[in-house]
Amino acid sequence: MPLDKSNNRKVQVLGIDAGGTMTDTFFVDSEGEFVVGKAQSTPQNEALGLIASSKEGLEHWGLTLEEALSGIQTGVYSGTAMLNRVVQRKGLRCGLIVNAGMEDFHRMGRAIQAYLGFAYEDRIHLNTHYYDEPLVPRHLTRGVMERVDMSGTVVIPLREDTARQAARDLIAQDVEGIVISLLHSYRNPGHERRVRDIVQEEVAASGKSIPVFASTDYYPVRKETHRTNTTILEAYAAEPSRQTLNKISSAFKENGSKFDFRVMATHGGTISWKAKELARTIVSGPIGGVVGAKYLGEVLGYSNIACSDIGGTSFDVALITQNELTIRNDPDMARLVLSLPLVAMDSVGAGAGSFIRLDPYTKAIKLGPDSAGYRVGVCWAESGIETVTISDCHVILGYLNPDNFLGGQVKLDRERAWSAMKEQIADPLGLSVEDAAAGVIELLDSDLRDYLRSMISGKGSTPGNFVCFSYGGAGPVHTYGYTEGLGFEDVIVPAWAAGFSAFGCAAADFEYRYDKSLDINIATDASADLKANQAKTLQAAWEELRERVLEEFEINGYSPDRVKLQPGFRMQYRGQLNDLEIESPITEAHSAEDWDKLVEAFNDTYGRVYAASARSPELGYSVTGAIMRGTVPIPKPKIPKEELQGETPPEDAKLGTRKFYRHKTWVDAQLYQMEKLQPGNRITGPAIIESDATTFVVPGGFETFLDGHRLFHLKEV
Amino acid sequence: MAYTKAKIKDLVDGKIDRDTLHTMLATPKDKERFQIYLEILQEQVDWDDPIILPLGPKLYIVQRQSDKKWMIRSQAGYDFCEWDQNWKLHARIRVRSTPAQMEELYPRLMAPSPEWQVIREYFCPLSGDLLDVEAPTPWYPVIHDFEPDIDTFYRDWLDLPVPERA
Repeated sequence: MPLDKSNNRKVQVLGIDAGGTMTDTFFVDSEGEFVVGKAQSTPQNEALGLIASSKEGLEHWGLTLEEALSGIQTGVYSGTAMLNRVVQRKGLRCGLIVNAGMEDFHRMGRAIQAYLGFAYEDRIHLNTHYYDEPLVPRHLTRGVMERVDMSGTVVIPLREDTARQAARDLIAQDVEGIVISLLHSYRNPGHERRVRDIVQEEVAASGKSIPVFASTDYYPVRKETHRTNTTILEAYAAEPSRQTLNKISSAFKENGSKFDFRVMATHGGTISWKAKELARTIVSGPIGGVVGAKYLGEVLGYSNIACSDIGGTSFDVALITQNELTIRNDPDMARLVLSLPLVAMDSVGAGAGSFIRLDPYTKAIKLGPDSAGYRVGVCWAESGIETVTISDCHVILGYLNPDNFLGGQVKLDRERAWSAMKEQIADPLGLSVEDAAAGVIELLDSDLRDYLRSMISGKGSTPGNFVCFSYGGAGPVHTYGYTEGLGFEDVIVPAWAAGFSAFGCAAADFEYRYDKSLDINIATDASADLKANQAKTLQAAWEELRERVLEEFEINGYSPDRVKLQPGFRMQYRGQLNDLEIESPITEAHSAEDWDKLVEAFNDTYGRVYAASARSPELGYSVTGAIMRGTVPIPKPKIPKEELQGETPPEDAKLGTRKFYRHKTWVDAQLYQMEKLQPGNRITGPAIIESDATTFVVPGGFETFLDGHRLFHLKEV
Repeated sequence: MAYTKAKIKDLVDGKIDRDTLHTMLATPKDKERFQIYLEILQEQVDWDDPIILPLGPKLYIVQRQSDKKWMIRSQAGYDFCEWDQNWKLHARIRVRSTPAQMEELYPRLMAPSPEWQVIREYFCPLSGDLLDVEAPTPWYPVIHDFEPDIDTFYRDWLDLPVPERA
């Protein structure tokens, strides 16, 4: 990010993270150098924030948007547009076809949907529970007569006339999409496909143009509510999002871009906005960071990574063990249970924007669960926020530079924060304002620390086996606090922490992934014939999924020979509750020997993820699902590699000092300009390292070292 | 946290938005809520005697200005009895005790059997407003639902002076 390069640099990759608070852009040039742009999000028209953020970032390189865009080959988007559409239940008017007699299951939903996304206190507080309006109302739901049982056997043949009638009813009501989801269709898709064909015939006969979505074509997996919700999302929310992405694409094209946007998807790869399965792009921002950490770990040789990301509204943690992400198969989003492969991540509703309140009865300090989001806190006068937030504490204690928040785009008022803190928290508690604010920060830090510790010990491991990556706009402010005393192998803050999610998006593979549920059960001592049979069942599923993956790449103009396919499966010891996702060591499975290789791969992984002694092969094995992933090569950001300089930071990196409060004393913290620090520099706290988009706090008792990859290593001294 | 009177009025009218409602439920009660609540109720009735405690929809305990007695009063202004008595004994009552009467409310076979359970409806004699319903066994006495300890509520919970009582 030095400013001295001449402007013949070629910008190659653009990563975008359009979050609820900030829109980050991340540009990578042909040398692997990168720059981060930040602007406030513009939910009304996302393209505005995106363009502003891009301009801000490119300014650092002295480039105009037009100059940069013409050379870019890859643009990856991650954002919250689709999620918001679903959260606000503002999707298209869809019709739903289910089994006759089952017409109410979608609107009844699952009980858990009444409190998904709630803070723990609210989950156990029944009064707060409520059910959302169903995505498809009852009057647009029709039943068809048929039944397939859980083994895939036809119990009642399809009465085709009921399907025809259902289709006609829905078409007459002018629905904008028709979703078909029949019981156990993942096991035997025959009836559902026939219904789909009948509906398509009726749509054609009506002369209207209504897309038809059969669950088996998209998510042939167990659990009706999950599968149905997800298929409905394709019709309900993904189609409008396609329009949004198209709009963003056009906005960039107007500014001279020549690439087609890809979107970060829940499985950790990127897919085209033209993809058939677009619903899986519903959340993507936080995943970007995890994918970025994995990529960085692969290049630099860190295999166990605890990824921690603090933004304005939440603290997200994900663990990478042995360079592998954990994938969850039935996540929930927007208060819906879904069948999507999702990079496992845990969130606490505590971020820099979290509100601070006192319980009027116990006088206990309570953080969140709601937050000021992009409106920062009381310290930003124009925000309209009246309740103090964590950011207010940062401003009061000297952690943040009130004149350089987002590079000075937002001016913060310390006086305002101070008075509000005094009135709302300090006076009622009989504390000084500094002590109250410091107490709040300590409380947050210890909450986050406990959370991080419990997550790692939940995996049967200790922080000593992990490298902690800390990123997100507010991550580096708290890194020292939530890692202190945990004993991580190393604590790393990338110099581009604020744009790390966008970096991750740029580093993600162009990858499609399809899943299918299977029910293979086999004893350890099964005969070779039986093993070969099961291998063939798995192979048939892989072939079905392979067709879909290749079809997606066709849409984007990639012929099958350019696609690298990686089959996978989910296996568990028979009778256990949790399965593991395994990358298959073989590309095709036909024989008993092939089967044994799969089992061996599973046993290995199980021993690595848990413990070798916990393996239970005597139970036999179940395969619960088949997976097919396909990738094509794309340019990725290079990790910088610079020569180490001396340990003493250059004089021109120093920005003076600021009063900084911690452990009941005010000290003068040395301030540094992050971009001017050189690899090899060592900085001892108290120090604050500032850049436009993030602030890295190194308090007394800590030391940081900037390595040749522009990664800060933080340690206690 | 303080809410505007308009927000509390939305709450009383059942028109409050989901997010504010959730915040209200999830955070400790705002100190001034009860008084604002009483003000809103007071504006909705045609009489001036101050409401001391709402007992149910369209039913209140009020301080009668003429004699400072605490009375249980309906929205329409009917004084049933003193505050610590069972007002239902002074209301108009309809008892549903035959299958035909039950089936005005429930589908056949989905209604209670009147030998086991009756439905008693209590009406305001002035307006005919349905003020309460109970569903006990046929022989059960009229239920006295609630005898509030208003003195403790005002003094210890709300930190307010207890209104005068004759």
